[in-house]
Amino acid sequence: MSSREDILGRVRTGVKRDSVNVLAARAAVSEALTVRGHGPKPTVGTKPGAMLACFRDRSDIHATTVDVVEREGEVPAAVARYLGELGLHKSVVAWPELLYLDWASVGLIVEGRGAQASDLVGITGCFCAIAETGTFMLCSSAGTPASVSLLPETHIAILRETDIVPYMEDAWALVRSGPGRLPRSVNFVSGPSRTGDIEQTIVIGAHGPYRVHVVIISSESARESDNRTSAVSGSAAANEKPVI
Amino acid sequence: MRVGLFVTCLVDLMRPSIGFATIKLLETAGCEVVVPAVQTCCGQPAWNAGDAAGAAALAKKTIAEFEAFDYVVVPSGSCADQIRTEYPCILSGQPGWATRAKVLAGRTFELTDFLATVLKTDRVPGRLEATVTYHDACAGLRSLGIKTQPRELLALIPGVRLKEMSGCEECCGFGGVFSVKFGEIAASIAERKCENILASGAQTVVGGDLGCLLNIEGKLRRMGHDSITVRHIAEILAGE
Amino acid sequence: MEIKSMYFKANASLKLADPVLQGNLKAVRGKFVEKRIEALKELDDVEATRDAATAIRRRVTDNLDVWLEHFEQNAVAAGATVLWAKDGAEVCRLVIEIARRHGVSKVVKSKSMLSEEAGLNKALEAAGIQPVETDLGEYILQIDGNEAPSHIIAPAVHKSLNQVADLFHKIHGTPRKTDISALTREARDVLRSHFLTAQMGRTGANFLVAETGSVALVTNEGNGRMVTTLPPVHVVVSGIEKVIPTLEDLATLMRLLPRSATGQSISNYLSVLTGVRMPDEQDGPDHLYVVLVDSGRADLVGSDFHEMLNCIRCGACMNHCPVYQTIGGHAYGWVYPGPMGSVLTPLYRGLDQALDLPQASTLCNQCGVVCPVRIPLPDLLRKLREKQTEQGLRSVSERFGLRLWSWLAQKPQLYSLAARFAARYLAWLAGGEDRIRVLPVFSEWSLGRDLPAPEGRTFREIHARRKKQALKDVATALRKEGR
Repeated sequence: MSSREDILGRVRTGVKRDSVNVLAARAAVSEALTVRGHGPKPTVGTKPGAMLACFRDRSDIHATTVDVVEREGEVPAAVARYLGELGLHKSVVAWPELLYLDWASVGLIVEGRGAQASDLVGITGCFCAIAETGTFMLCSSAGTPASVSLLPETHIAILRETDIVPYMEDAWALVRSGPGRLPRSVNFVSGPSRTGDIEQTIVIGAHGPYRVHVVIISSESARESDNRTSAVSGSAAANEKPVI
Repeated sequence: MRVGLFVTCLVDLMRPSIGFATIKLLETAGCEVVVPAVQTCCGQPAWNAGDAAGAAALAKKTIAEFEAFDYVVVPSGSCADQIRTEYPCILSGQPGWATRAKVLAGRTFELTDFLATVLKTDRVPGRLEATVTYHDACAGLRSLGIKTQPRELLALIPGVRLKEMSGCEECCGFGGVFSVKFGEIAASIAERKCENILASGAQTVVGGDLGCLLNIEGKLRRMGHDSITVRHIAEILAGE
Repeated sequence: MEIKSMYFKANASLKLADPVLQGNLKAVRGKFVEKRIEALKELDDVEATRDAATAIRRRVTDNLDVWLEHFEQNAVAAGATVLWAKDGAEVCRLVIEIARRHGVSKVVKSKSMLSEEAGLNKALEAAGIQPVETDLGEYILQIDGNEAPSHIIAPAVHKSLNQVADLFHKIHGTPRKTDISALTREARDVLRSHFLTAQMGRTGANFLVAETGSVALVTNEGNGRMVTTLPPVHVVVSGIEKVIPTLEDLATLMRLLPRSATGQSISNYLSVLTGVRMPDEQDGPDHLYVVLVDSGRADLVGSDFHEMLNCIRCGACMNHCPVYQTIGGHAYGWVYPGPMGSVLTPLYRGLDQALDLPQASTLCNQCGVVCPVRIPLPDLLRKLREKQTEQGLRSVSERFGLRLWSWLAQKPQLYSLAARFAARYLAWLAGGEDRIRVLPVFSEWSLGRDLPAPEGRTFREIHARRKKQALKDVATALRKEGR
């Protein structure tokens, strides 16, 4: 008897498996896989701006730095500013799909390939980000090599405010809505790597990146609705004092 | 109301005054207290040691002796837990006894729980001027939910200032037979509890379980601390 | 791993007398406890989340066979090879076979307790293959003569900074340093070269997701990502009980696992790996093997200890255990320490191999109230004690003593007599003092404590005497009134 049959056989004995209850078991399993119920989730505000704020707060806690820009065109400058402030190496690798951004205009030499050990900065996008925990989600593919976010000491992730979802469950729903099977590797990243293995003292920077920086392109629609809100409260205030 | 006092084997052997303090508290609160003379042990040592037959025999004996009372009151969280939580499990396989166990379980209370929750006592005879700290015994706390009851009762004594120790809910290392089977480990755990007690600055440490109190007092004395008093809450509340 | 649990008491004694270990244990004591409490405040309803996590685990373990088949089917469909191993020896055989097939001379490992069970490192070395631990804590232990881990999450928790500094200085030949960041940097540099040159990455699995046939890894250091991205071969060795149904279930469990383990809201990395490198991808393994391991787990299904299968290996139980906190993990003598280790070791290795482990507990339940998947650990420990009694594994004197106590307690007159004698005897031992310093019976009590002196008479005899006196007084009073 193969080990597989031996092990499954003893498991079946343990659950008192017979030809009748196996049907109920299979039905229960199918149902669980179809329903995919959620467990209890902590409250995360979903009003415009609230998820961005939550993402920033959580990022702060696990030492991810965050920069917000208003337009996609401002991203290269934001990245250059970050690298310049830290006096970091200017030559970087990035996901090939990010080469369309105008890196040259800010003096950055960016190569679109997987990272090697000698690369010091890696720039990626992300599939989506999770407000609840300040996490971003990286899915592997030909254009999004995993090594770019892993090998270099500094990792910069670019994401849009509209990519931020409240919970990990929402991230899974997004992945499932895509074609085919799950990407080979899905990595949820929450901050620079760390360890506490020496005297339980947390040290930032273990095997993965030492620094994680996120550049978020804030959303037009979110800002517009914010303006509308402030216009409403502005007019209420206007009743109390003369408008200049 | 007729209350049967389950005095516990440790109180019987080591500190009868706790038993008398309990009677005083219950009578002051208006209960008729009866002490069945044939009671012995609730069977927890047997149960915890894995002697299911011995535990079952003692469970049946205790049930037979106490089921006629309106309530059964126990000056110990662990013994009360044995009757309330474990007796129904121990006898679950014997339908007649299982029912009787459940009925008795529903009527059995640890002392402070009975005074605070059932009788809603708002007055106690005890008078004391002291800073006290309270040790939450494990079974009483985690199994029976006894936390606020002793503190509410202590607050009824004007001179008592309660100062919580850090780790008041941590085990003191008694664990029944554990304390004599693994004496070194038990003493080490007790040391930590005593350090917390000393750090609280309290003059008196109070608890609801005599096993814990003997363990704590024994450790304090071995550590050279003779002036801290160690009392059962019944004694404090009754003013013994 | 060789089992030493039969020497528990002696080893515990040594650990209690070890000043360096005691200092280290004191320093970390309470840290995990406090962090967990803080992290749980972030959840709206902790108990509801625990209920959900427990239900997820029961859903699988109650139909483990069907769930395993689903996982296997989906993993294979994604390009993994799924293998089954009955025990540690078979795990080693399979992994070595895979290594030989792919010409592997070096394996980089991310932490796996199951590989400790199987003694995999030793087997690989014997086969001429170099295993390299990459988790910092495990790496420290590996270079210190392959010392065993003392905690399932923080394997080197028993080591002090100075001990690590000495070790790195000795093994790396670098100048001695005590800055923790610098030591970590040094380890990173040493291990990086291994990541880049190893031909096989080996991990455990925190969870196996049946829905997609995926392997979920929870890490903080990045080594888990390294060993599953760079080498061409990835081998996963996982217990069969690690299966969970869906990706949503993974999200629920991830709300409790990091919080229970280290007090983090979320681990640094959660890697969900499905199948092998796609044809146009630049990184990832070409070959993925998942070895599903029994090693005692199948026999727990449907047994009195079924609930132990819920375990998600968070380590909260040992963090809260007063016994673990005072003796550390090594005294338990095998892979798993603390409460979960005291249940699993006798079940996986045989009751007679670890007699003291289920006994060395106060049954305080500090573990059970923090277990994210509601395993009733004290009940299971007590049940193991019952099994020991049933199988005649307790000593004659202990069995006799317990029998005697139970018998005596059923005979109220004799019991009363014995108690009266004991009360007087103990009072006599105290010799007028308020304490007994050395007990001639149950002498282990006296190892670290005095015993407060008894009052000298039993409650029952005083109560009976007072009752008799009260009746006498009533009778006298009645006679005086001429009735």
